Amino acid sequence: MTTLDHAKVSESRPNPPKSLITKLNMGTGMIVGIVFAEAMYFWGKSMWDRQEAVMENRILTLSMFAWCIGFLIGIGAFIGPFRWLIGKDLTDEEQLFLAGKGQGVSRYFRYCTDHKVVGIQYLVGVMVMLGAGGTMAMMIRTNLITPGSKWVNAEIYNSLVGLHGITMIVAMIIVSTGPFGNFILPIMIGARDMAFPRLNALSWWLLFTAIPVLCSAWFFGGIPTGWTAYAPLSVQAGAGMNAFIVTIIIFAISSAIAGANITTTVVAMRAKGMKWNRVPIFVIGATMSVALAIPAFPSFMASQMMAGFDRTIGTHFYDAEFGGSGWLYAHLFWIMGHPEVYVILIPGVAILMEIAPVFARSPLFSYTTAVVGFAGIVGLSVLVWAHHMYISGWMPSLNGPFMVTTEMISIPTGLLFLVLLGTIWRGRPWMKLPMLGVYALIWNFLIGGITGIYLSDVPADDYLHGSMFVTAHFHYTLMGAALTGAIAGLAYWFPKMTGRMLDERSGYISFWTVQIGFQVLFLGMFAAGSQGQPRRVADYEQAFATSDLISTIGAYLVGIGMIVLLYSVVHSWRKGKIAPMNPWGAKTLEWTVPYPIYLENFHEAPVVTSDPYGYGRSEK
Amino acid sequence: MSDQHDVTELEPTPGERFRKAINSRDVKITMVFGVIITAVFVIIGLWFYPKYMPEIMSENMKRGKDVIVYFTVISAPIAGLVIAVALYTLLDRHHGENPPEEAASFRTHTPIVFAWTVVSAIFCIVAIVWGLTEMNVNSEDATENAKSALVVEVTGSQWVWTFNYPELGVQSEQLNLPLDRPVEFRVHSVDVNHSFWPVQLGVKVDANDRVTTLAHTTPDVLGTIDIKCAELCGLYHAYMETQGKVMKEADFNSWVTAQGGHAA
Repeated sequence: MTTLDHAKVSESRPNPPKSLITKLNMGTGMIVGIVFAEAMYFWGKSMWDRQEAVMENRILTLSMFAWCIGFLIGIGAFIGPFRWLIGKDLTDEEQLFLAGKGQGVSRYFRYCTDHKVVGIQYLVGVMVMLGAGGTMAMMIRTNLITPGSKWVNAEIYNSLVGLHGITMIVAMIIVSTGPFGNFILPIMIGARDMAFPRLNALSWWLLFTAIPVLCSAWFFGGIPTGWTAYAPLSVQAGAGMNAFIVTIIIFAISSAIAGANITTTVVAMRAKGMKWNRVPIFVIGATMSVALAIPAFPSFMASQMMAGFDRTIGTHFYDAEFGGSGWLYAHLFWIMGHPEVYVILIPGVAILMEIAPVFARSPLFSYTTAVVGFAGIVGLSVLVWAHHMYISGWMPSLNGPFMVTTEMISIPTGLLFLVLLGTIWRGRPWMKLPMLGVYALIWNFLIGGITGIYLSDVPADDYLHGSMFVTAHFHYTLMGAALTGAIAGLAYWFPKMTGRMLDERSGYISFWTVQIGFQVLFLGMFAAGSQGQPRRVADYEQAFATSDLISTIGAYLVGIGMIVLLYSVVHSWRKGKIAPMNPWGAKTLEWTVPYPIYLENFHEAPVVTSDPYGYGRSEK
Repeated sequence: MSDQHDVTELEPTPGERFRKAINSRDVKITMVFGVIITAVFVIIGLWFYPKYMPEIMSENMKRGKDVIVYFTVISAPIAGLVIAVALYTLLDRHHGENPPEEAASFRTHTPIVFAWTVVSAIFCIVAIVWGLTEMNVNSEDATENAKSALVVEVTGSQWVWTFNYPELGVQSEQLNLPLDRPVEFRVHSVDVNHSFWPVQLGVKVDANDRVTTLAHTTPDVLGTIDIKCAELCGLYHAYMETQGKVMKEADFNSWVTAQGGHAA
């Protein structure tokens, strides 16, 4: 029934005569990017004196931007817009070539507009980022294994904390909406591609250019500020900070493009008959998540642009000595920062809401409640940012109002639990890998949610703020809930994305190792935080030794489990069991297309007559 | 069934339906699970935090700890219910390569959605009112004690805390406080942000450059205070800690005199 021969996607490889497009790929992009960066660097050095910190920052920042622009030129991102300038457009053959028609694996290294290719690119990219961030987490925990351990020095430790944080945050923001939002979402709504395929490719390759920039921070002295990069600490930091600033600005542009693209696709390109109340819940969740990112991330970008101006042209936005304010940074940062955690969380929960009905063979319980829950979270999330600043000294009189809005989020969050519980209630759960994620989420998100209520309470936060308790809390929500959702989503959609089943045995081993390790790791960290251990410390006192040792043991378990998962994914992708078209018996549209998926997904445009949750006896 | 006039087949009233639902086997088992798990969470809340949180040396610390303990107890029934439902569904699992048989199809259940929303709103309001009240007590204490408070100027610099007692003419790297006397910390930084955290006193406030922030408390137990920095402040953030002492009034006065100050 299915074959894995990529060439079968199309017999004929279009070969536009003498078109520049056919010559460009990731390699040419890198060459042009490096040439641009070098040129910028030497030009900058001839203009400005590198000995001065401001000048050095200016030269490095401009060189990093030059790399990004050069890479995009080199990979051919601007060929279309350039043609428009001279009154033409790409020919049909060139468009088909851009869509990756009949190119096999090489299309993954090109500026490819096919949403399925972009989805796979995001998936691999996210896995690389999670691997890097996870390795840094292991190094952090290794240094904290005993008090007084000098495994790495304080400077490297602080850099590890910052890089682990920002790498994971970036990875987690795209972990669900990147791979599944691009690959699966258009098929789920019966679209032939995204609304703006070229922007889709642009969003991925922009993100790609940010990865080497972020890595370069290592060689310029790291990011010793934590991922929050609070000013004025960031003003003091070395040249590595420039890499952070450039990364965030590029990432903000990339996510704005991706967000606009996904939102437009869902609004405008749903199949005939797919009314709003028939849209799969993952599509609703992913759309709300990216739509929330659209107003949130510009604030992050603005905060970093101002930090960049402080560093490169000598403004003083955050420098109290010249009338600036560190609180300005904190506000801009958290106006992005709190919506952002829901940008991460919502798609993860939505994936599990997609999975639960399939494996419990029961309709999604109260679709409307799920939508209201997501909408309530999205609405409230923009009104709570200053709960990160209870003890900053900025307006203690406003702590009360922010406490009220923050605790109100527990109501829509509770609705999400009701939906999941109502769906699995009185069903016989089919204990496949994706379904395990639903149960893991219920436990982890419960712990993360309840500890969040302590932290939202000002008198309790007076004690807990800035302690390991906070670190454990947000790992329970972001990793325990959102990452669990994404991994469950990978297990669920793996057959559709790769044509093969994810290996069950290694999957189970990985699931249990990660989840048990996770509990050990972060319950230990809750204990350390309750005892009074501040977060982001390279060293600590004897009093916290037991809690930290337990945490580190848990961390190693998580690490082992993740390596098993990586093995499982790589092995299954290459040699896994060939998947049938609809291995789970699910009713959403993506399971109606065979693998390999036809270039424009559907031979015949699907017509939708009901919502995809018609499970259960009475509706057979 | 279709015969509307048959008296014996009338639709059950909501009360009857509720009683039937409560008495069904799955609800009963779930409730048993729920009670057990609730008890476990209550025990964890009552045992864990008092055991692991440091010694309580002020009312602020006591209020913070109480909030954590009570919130754990209040949220225990919710956690109990959620986990009990999930656990109950796990009693009858399906394995194998093919999907299980179709479950009962119910799309929604308005009374349950309504009840869930109302109950969670009530819990939320309780949490909010509780928190606001405790916060208010903290700030009322601070206002009341403002006049009689001992002023301590706390300066954060990379990576030391310095304590200045302007009324007593003493400057020290050691924080000593007299027992039962209200204290006002006036905190600022001379470089990057720090966060002044006298752990056992249960207060915390950021130290910002060129801004003075305030924290109020009254130490009411003799003993040692761990003073830490709770905001990443650069290379030796982890080592920006010192110890303080809460001492009897007389001991405090003799310390002040020994430091060359004039005891109040």
